[in-house]
Amino acid sequence: MAVTPPPPPGSAAAPERVVFWFGCNIARHGEIVRLSTRILEAVGVEADPAGGPSYCCGSPKEANARIAGGMARRTVEAFNATGRDTVVTWCPSCHMNMDDFMAPATEAAFATSHISEVLHARRDRIAPLLRHRVSVRRALPHLHHGFNGRVPVNTLVPDLLRLIPGLEVPEHPCRAPGHMCSALAGVPGALGAAQRALLAAAEETGADALVTVFHSCHRETVSLERGRPGLRVVNWIHLLAESMGIPHRDDYKAWRNAPDPREAVGPERLAAAGETAFERLVEPELRRPPPA
Amino acid sequence: MSARPPPPRAADLPALIRADSARLAAACTACGACVGACPMVPTLPSVATAAREDVAAGLRSVLRGEAQAASAESVAWIGACTRSGLCTPACPERLDTAFMMRLAGMRLRGALGASEPGGPPRLPAKDDPGWSARVKAFARMTLTEEEQARWL
Repeated sequence: MAVTPPPPPGSAAAPERVVFWFGCNIARHGEIVRLSTRILEAVGVEADPAGGPSYCCGSPKEANARIAGGMARRTVEAFNATGRDTVVTWCPSCHMNMDDFMAPATEAAFATSHISEVLHARRDRIAPLLRHRVSVRRALPHLHHGFNGRVPVNTLVPDLLRLIPGLEVPEHPCRAPGHMCSALAGVPGALGAAQRALLAAAEETGADALVTVFHSCHRETVSLERGRPGLRVVNWIHLLAESMGIPHRDDYKAWRNAPDPREAVGPERLAAAGETAFERLVEPELRRPPPA
Repeated sequence: MSARPPPPRAADLPALIRADSARLAAACTACGACVGACPMVPTLPSVATAAREDVAAGLRSVLRGEAQAASAESVAWIGACTRSGLCTPACPERLDTAFMMRLAGMRLRGALGASEPGGPPRLPAKDDPGWSARVKAFARMTLTEEEQARWL
């Protein structure tokens, strides 16, 4: 007979209901959205995911304030209509845009918190759920300077990772410029330099894993596994989920590192994307060589 | 969870950009501490050798609606901002310098259109015409049809 473990302290309270605003470019990593939602629910936060271009923060159109402002207003009004008190963010760009441009121009009937804050505030609930050892031994977080001044993500995420049994999370002063790797992609040489510094930090600390915090960092960093059999690249949500025993698969990494991405994606998903969209929009990215 | 944000301080985004630009430009002394703290400056040889005060004065000019008065070094610096945010704690006036850089970048890329008093854009727009279609294509590959219907 199965025995239900006693609930952790405080979990008897009714779950909070929030919107989980995951952003747009994380659509490459559907499993991170899914896992984040499950982890939030496991700590008593009932999360309704919302994202994609319909919930845009406006930043892709920031060279036209009229258009960007209209997109931002539509998103704030959609969140107001949910009646939820809180919007939990994933993307640092979305989070900062909400603070800086969206709520200051459209009445927002909700508070905004980053997912790292929400989970860290409930670490007494998540700790007993992290029962399993994970497949990496020493995990170096890949951190940036930016956003940490807004949300102390460079402390919160390593703190959460240290709850995983047996996992070492070394301290290292390496911090990449920018708020996430996509910001560096537009400055010639900047992303490659940041990745070389990260690899050097991994070597200095003896890390067997690089842990990305944000989606664009994950997108740009997964290819560092190529030719480095002793190094894995995982997102912090992947590690929490693995320790909780939630099965998952990092398809984007598999596609990006495959000798033939088209073959790795397979006919079913290629058909879902659409041949033209895959060829023009997806395949060039999957075939892009690593910056470092 | 954090508190609800304060009421809006502008009617729309263009009005917010104008009002916050003017407010922050008025408080900026162009001391150059923000330039000194920026991790992107070493990647920009012309900026690294320019006087910090002059580079910062260009930021202030853009926010004043006088973008044509900003030096090429100032424009290059603003254009290379990756949002590291180290400029904000460096500001002796305790201004949100990272936000000033964002506002200036938007204005230099033409965010205010024909109503920009600083003249035509001096930076190219970061507009990816394939962004929305690319996001949707990846979503179709990584999310179930039900997830797409409920979440997007």
